[in-house]
Amino acid sequence: MTSVEVGTELPALTVTFRREDLVRYAGASGDFNPIHWSDRMAAALGLPGVIAHGMLTMASAARVVTDWLDDPADLVEYGVRFTKPIVVPDDDKGATVTFSAKVDKVADGHAEIDITALAGEEKVLGRARAVVRVR
Amino acid sequence: MTIDATMVGRSYTAAETYQVGREKIREFAAAIGDTNPAYAGDDAVAPPTFAFVLSAPALDLLLADPELGLRLDRIVHGAQKFNYVRPIKAGDAVGATATITTVRKAGDVEVIMYETVLTSGDGEQLATSTATVTHNRADA
Repeated sequence: MTSVEVGTELPALTVTFRREDLVRYAGASGDFNPIHWSDRMAAALGLPGVIAHGMLTMASAARVVTDWLDDPADLVEYGVRFTKPIVVPDDDKGATVTFSAKVDKVADGHAEIDITALAGEEKVLGRARAVVRVR
Repeated sequence: MTIDATMVGRSYTAAETYQVGREKIREFAAAIGDTNPAYAGDDAVAPPTFAFVLSAPALDLLLADPELGLRLDRIVHGAQKFNYVRPIKAGDAVGATATITTVRKAGDVEVIMYETVLTSGDGEQLATSTATVTHNRADA
């Protein structure tokens, strides 16, 4: 990645999570926590319903950065806070999240990128930040 | 027993290395809807968040420690960070050691931070995963 400037906006990405996506992610990741597939177990933990895996949300947010990089190996640091659970209803519509990102800082061969994840008006990730190598 | 701050520093090392396979990378990339060509083919690298999957065998040991008294179905992921040294590739044999770094308690809720170091078979550090989880001991 060359000539990266502070303020550069990365192409946004909109993702829809349906129950089948959570089941697929559970299988691929090995995370079978029942809050991601059982309404009963989610309610027992005080959740409003089955919620998307935080790691699935985090993986989707990373795509905004890695889609933009020439080589995903240039991602050197990546962190998020899971501030708001994404409730995924048992219907065909699912839950839609839009990810966007902006370069916040460029220094010493690295760029720091702030990522925003919005489900409707609500931010579902906090302090989502990636550090990438730039040349 | 229940977890408390005296348990900071406890470490859990997965008994076996995780053998990263091309097909597992393909399955994981499909599950996150990522069609990046870097994640396909014989020279596939794993998507960045696959590092969490590799940390899971060490986390399972932490969860199974009877002295901590934790239950997976009472855990919610609060925060996650990765530091990458190099990408994980198909063919890597990855070892994982998780260490409890912080324990904070507020009533029935325990906030636990643990760090997992991922290494290759010959001891090369590949990535570090830092997770914060909330464990709720209250009966709903």
